[in-house]
Amino acid sequence: MTNTREITLTVNGTERSTEVEPRRLLVHAIREDLDLTGTHIGCDTGNCGACTVLVDGEPIKSCLMFAAQADGSEVMTVEGMEDLPESDGLHPLQEGFHEEHGLQCGYCTPGMLMAGKALLDENPDPDEAEIREAISGNLCRCTGYQNIVKSIEYAADKLAAQPAADGGTVAIDGDAGPAAAGSAADGPEPFEGYEVDGEFTCGAENCCGGPATDAEHTGGDNV
Amino acid sequence: MKAANFEHHEPTSVSKAVSLLESLEEPTILSGGQSLVPMLRFRLARPDTVVDINGIDELDYLHEEGGYLKIGALARHADVEDSELIEERYGSFADTVPLVADPQIRNRGTIVGSVAQADPKGDWGSVLIAHDGEVVATGPDGERTVPIDELFLLPYDTSLDEDELITEARVPIPVEREGSAYHKLKRKTGDYAMAGVAARLIFDDDGRIEDAGIGMTAVDITNVRASDAEERLGGERPDPELFAEAGELAAEQSNPESDEHGDASYKERMVEVLTQRALGDAAERAGVIKRRVSP
Repeated sequence: MTNTREITLTVNGTERSTEVEPRRLLVHAIREDLDLTGTHIGCDTGNCGACTVLVDGEPIKSCLMFAAQADGSEVMTVEGMEDLPESDGLHPLQEGFHEEHGLQCGYCTPGMLMAGKALLDENPDPDEAEIREAISGNLCRCTGYQNIVKSIEYAADKLAAQPAADGGTVAIDGDAGPAAAGSAADGPEPFEGYEVDGEFTCGAENCCGGPATDAEHTGGDNV
Repeated sequence: MKAANFEHHEPTSVSKAVSLLESLEEPTILSGGQSLVPMLRFRLARPDTVVDINGIDELDYLHEEGGYLKIGALARHADVEDSELIEERYGSFADTVPLVADPQIRNRGTIVGSVAQADPKGDWGSVLIAHDGEVVATGPDGERTVPIDELFLLPYDTSLDEDELITEARVPIPVEREGSAYHKLKRKTGDYAMAGVAARLIFDDDGRIEDAGIGMTAVDITNVRASDAEERLGGERPDPELFAEAGELAAEQSNPESDEHGDASYKERMVEVLTQRALGDAAERAGVIKRRVSP
């Protein structure tokens, strides 16, 4: 049974069309058909949030939605951030992740950025609890949440200090095609004096297995 | 893993959806998809056809009408979260929604889809039980209502016919001196319940409990009603000892399984505690007690 259909998405302000099978997930269409590899795939089961993108302005997990369901929607991926009016090269959120060391290994970063973007669009001055709630669907395998929270706080402060931007709509004239996939999209640049060679391991056994490893982490605030 | 291939249908009205369900062999209904998509990908479900109801705008509502709070099949968890009506008058709903998964999932997942999924760990089934709710099933012969107690048969199995679609879930609009709450034990933020209890109390003019509803999550093969506890509460005035007794009765009626997160006796004890807390909050919200009488 081969049944494909053409879908049209407005991705980061640019209209893009592609043929998909009904079973094709949005995340695969974004990464493989549209060649926007900034959106990551982590757990593959809807737990980790690495694949978070905005569909019509709302954060969703693109591994839990079929591409066909997004037909006609506006999709924003991490590649679109640099074209936002409030961005000066980097978006304040991206800058915050750099300044506050929210990047760590960088794998969860695109999802964290999109979750953070959705939060700040709705609530420009979130407190720490609200930030933690907003990224509660995003796992960081380095468990670097503290710095991620600081990074989002940094962005909130920076945005508040900026002259009124238009709230973050995607610049229509931006070149958001594959060529625009900047450094933040394909993983962080190594820091100066810090060489990345070979495969990154954090040392924890099965650390990228996602929630299965959470059995050990019983929090104190459960009840 | 990719889902097995399927035909994707996108009806734009309930009547078209129902005629599709009637004509197709064993179709699967896709609404929010936050549970179904992983099931398709793990090939726990392998339908030839998927009927995607997301384009049926007439099912996208959440409002009070005709004596009920009506939740259309496309109302997302996030719609409940954003609703002032819910925040003001439906304590159990307001308690439940932030406990459902995470913000991204709540943007897509639906309350009705969660109920239709009939996962014993689903939170909304217990809330509907506590509120004596019902679902509206629409099929080739039109609409019928199914009391929530008659819906859940087994895990992931309901009493609906194959060509029926749940178009709405509803609960009676709260009366005066009514309060409700939901408490849930989970391992981590956004997780499924290890145990959960929804409670709803209605008091008479005299401050006695006129009606009690208690639904339990994840402690039996389906969401279940704690009917012995409900009965014990009837006609009584709220007090900590009474709620403790109700908790014990709920625990006795629960039937949890031991697993890697805790053994059955631990979960029963949790049912006891969660029941007391939910009853305490419900009584407080009904305005009959000033402070929580629960531990």
